[in-house]
Amino acid sequence: MSTSSDTLAAAPPAVELEGITKRFPGVVANHDIRIAVEPGTVHAIVGENGAGKSTLMKILYGMQRPDEGRIRVHGEDVNFRTPSDAIAAGIGMVHQHFMLADYLTVLENIVLGAEPRKGGLLDTAGARKRINQLAETHGLRVDPDRLVEDLGVGDRQRVEILKVLYRGARILILDEPTAVLVPQEVDELFANLRELKAEGLTVIFISHKLDEVLSIADAITVIRRGTTVAAVDPASVTARQLAELMVGSELPTPETRESTVTDRVVLDVRDVTIQRGAAKPLLEDVSFPVRAGEVVGIAGVEGNGQSELIEAIMGLQTLSRGRIVLGEDDITTWSTLRRREAGIGYIPEDRHRQGLLLEAPLWENRVLGHQTREPARKGIWVNRAASRKDTERIVAEYDVRTPSIDTLALALSGGNQQKLIVGREMSGEPKFLIAAHPTRGVDVGAQAAIWDHLRTARAAGLAVLLISADLDELIGLSDCLHVIYSGRMVARLDPSQVTPEQLGGYMTGAIAEEQS
Amino acid sequence: MMPARLQRTLLTLAGAVVAVLLAVAISSIAILAAGASPITALEAMFDFGDTQAQVATAVAFILNRAVPLFIAGLAVAIGFRMNLFNIGIEGQYRLAAIVAAFVGSQFVLPGPIQITLIIVVAMLVGGLYALIPAVLKVTRGVNEVISTIMLNYIAINLAAFLVRGPFTGEREAGQLTTSTPQLPESAWFPNLNFLFEMFGLPAPRGGLWGFLIVAILVGVIIWVVLERTRFGFEVKASGLNASAALASGVNPKRMVISAMVLSGAIAGLIGMPEILGRTHAYGSNFTAGLGFLGIAVALLGRNKPVGIAVAALLFGFLDRAAAPLQFADIPPSVIAIIQGTIVLLVVIANEITSRVSMRQEERRAARQLDTTSQAQAEVAA
Repeated sequence: MSTSSDTLAAAPPAVELEGITKRFPGVVANHDIRIAVEPGTVHAIVGENGAGKSTLMKILYGMQRPDEGRIRVHGEDVNFRTPSDAIAAGIGMVHQHFMLADYLTVLENIVLGAEPRKGGLLDTAGARKRINQLAETHGLRVDPDRLVEDLGVGDRQRVEILKVLYRGARILILDEPTAVLVPQEVDELFANLRELKAEGLTVIFISHKLDEVLSIADAITVIRRGTTVAAVDPASVTARQLAELMVGSELPTPETRESTVTDRVVLDVRDVTIQRGAAKPLLEDVSFPVRAGEVVGIAGVEGNGQSELIEAIMGLQTLSRGRIVLGEDDITTWSTLRRREAGIGYIPEDRHRQGLLLEAPLWENRVLGHQTREPARKGIWVNRAASRKDTERIVAEYDVRTPSIDTLALALSGGNQQKLIVGREMSGEPKFLIAAHPTRGVDVGAQAAIWDHLRTARAAGLAVLLISADLDELIGLSDCLHVIYSGRMVARLDPSQVTPEQLGGYMTGAIAEEQS
Repeated sequence: MMPARLQRTLLTLAGAVVAVLLAVAISSIAILAAGASPITALEAMFDFGDTQAQVATAVAFILNRAVPLFIAGLAVAIGFRMNLFNIGIEGQYRLAAIVAAFVGSQFVLPGPIQITLIIVVAMLVGGLYALIPAVLKVTRGVNEVISTIMLNYIAINLAAFLVRGPFTGEREAGQLTTSTPQLPESAWFPNLNFLFEMFGLPAPRGGLWGFLIVAILVGVIIWVVLERTRFGFEVKASGLNASAALASGVNPKRMVISAMVLSGAIAGLIGMPEILGRTHAYGSNFTAGLGFLGIAVALLGRNKPVGIAVAALLFGFLDRAAAPLQFADIPPSVIAIIQGTIVLLVVIANEITSRVSMRQEERRAARQLDTTSQAQAEVAA
């Protein structure tokens, strides 16, 4: 497992997390996390979005306190109350979104908050000397007198790293550092990281880009559903195996069931392209039909165009090219409201962001998205009585565990919130449903229930587009599976025939498009 | 089912009461610092006069002051409810008041029609003036806070120009201020002095403005619109979670336009009680600053009509106390200190109580559902 047993014997781990658990109302964000990071290594932590990586890093950096568990730095127990405590212990964090002041120089940004003083004034000369020294020893070239505003993304990141080093950090946490970089910049960053490692610093590298992780990491810990599921040696693992660990490796034999797929196309996506400026298209010539009684699954590593596809169908993104047809109607130019009224249901990928009014009672959440339709509406009025009654129905039919329909949505657990959303989106006889990560962050009981509801609706003739990162879910529910990679549909697969290797190969781009 | 809501309401009320008491305590320190006794000050504030006539006048003063503040609070609240900050109430109501006062002076019709027309003009002007920042926001992305503040200056100076120039009326000999032409008598809103007579009190000096009735009516309508209609639901949804509202088919541009125009139209009414009830013209000494006070009143009233009414009455009560305080040799600026601290403390109290009530809600739900089994299930996953 570990890269070098010598260091293990010689020194205690730079960072050791033991049994870290963090609960938020309704969800367990982290459970029994165990990680040991050897000093002088690059240790990668990988997991899907929402697996709990960010919470874990916030705990390690003192931004949040764990409910249970112990953190040891160089063998000593620590208890971080604020990030300052973490910094004092030699831990520094480079955030995914840079925290720099645009109108200050590189030097000013680096010393900001830790200014060296000389006779009450900023000791610019001293600071410059130290920064140049740090930059030289770690190979982080950057001109201290330039305005941050004028710097490119790669340079800004180096400034962030220097800022952390300037405060004396010996352990660096990098949160998704490559998300904003182009490939050449990634190479430069990795060269920098190797240099830091050579200087004896420890780097914790958070990512979900597997090829990058494999090229830079000395050790990898995989997180899934809030807990550490594996510690692996990058030399002895492939990207596909890693992907399987991330999303759940045990692929169930898809249950034999009668196909309910009809030949009536409900939603037809034709040559949909979304391009912003001269950049690479976010979606390129995506076409597929969804038929009544069919579940079409979209597999892909997150960030390959799934969100844009959903938003295109919901009318939240304008298309650069292509058409979307619902039944007989070309809905390409329709508003979101009109699309919903025409029978599109939407289970959003992030229920707190797009699906709920957390500070409103459940029955008002029932109205959301249905405010123009029966039973929620009566002329210009919200039909409170009918909405409440229908909320009672959803609560009963979908087993939403709640004290009452007047309870605020925020008081419910993730699974119950999701069941409410599923119930809401299934009401009003939708023709077509987008289910984006319908069981993300919900407990197993709710997961099974939601799957059952989707199967029942499919049998009743609903057309479903399922976007998920969970391969079990995709294979178990879909009648037809598409793989999206880098904004393009690269493969159309039969879920009853597909092997995990195949799927992983297409998802990571290892197998180029052959049969799309 | 009601207890949860009742508890939330009680908690809010308790928070407000504590905030007011704290504000009184803090203000007492200010009064002591000014070399006076807080007890004397309190007595002066609650001293409505010795004769019945004085009491009636005091009550009428409070109500007459509270009415425009209430309307201003409503206007602000409509925008605040969806995180749309219409800071331009000040300009909207002043421009609306002068245009309505001038237009109303140009014709004579039977009372109800004349008054209705003047009110409609005021609402139109207020609404149209608020349309400018709304259109700038939805087409160019201009922040409404900036644009409404800047439009205030334009409106205030435009009104000052109009009252001296195109809209100016005849000035009586010896009169120092300029004003628009007097409204015909048919536009004078009847007063409500009979209410005092019903309680056996003499009619107050200056009279109780009849616009109080209109204000109550507007308050009820706004409550119904915000709490019961589809539009109100969309306003609420946009305020609570803009991206969820968008994904649910609420058109954010349409919402910005309609909420802003409605807010401006209500703002147009702010000057009406004074113009229709007392001055019968827009003069250069027209009451200013109501738009900004409206922001404080809306904050204090938690953007809810009933709360805003209470807040407006509180402010009216405090404003009346300025004169008696002066008689008691206490600087009347104490009132401004009290108002300021109340607003600040109530905002803090609101934040605390809403957090506490949310946490309570979570705990209650957890308790009722025995989530332990569920938590275990999640852990097992």
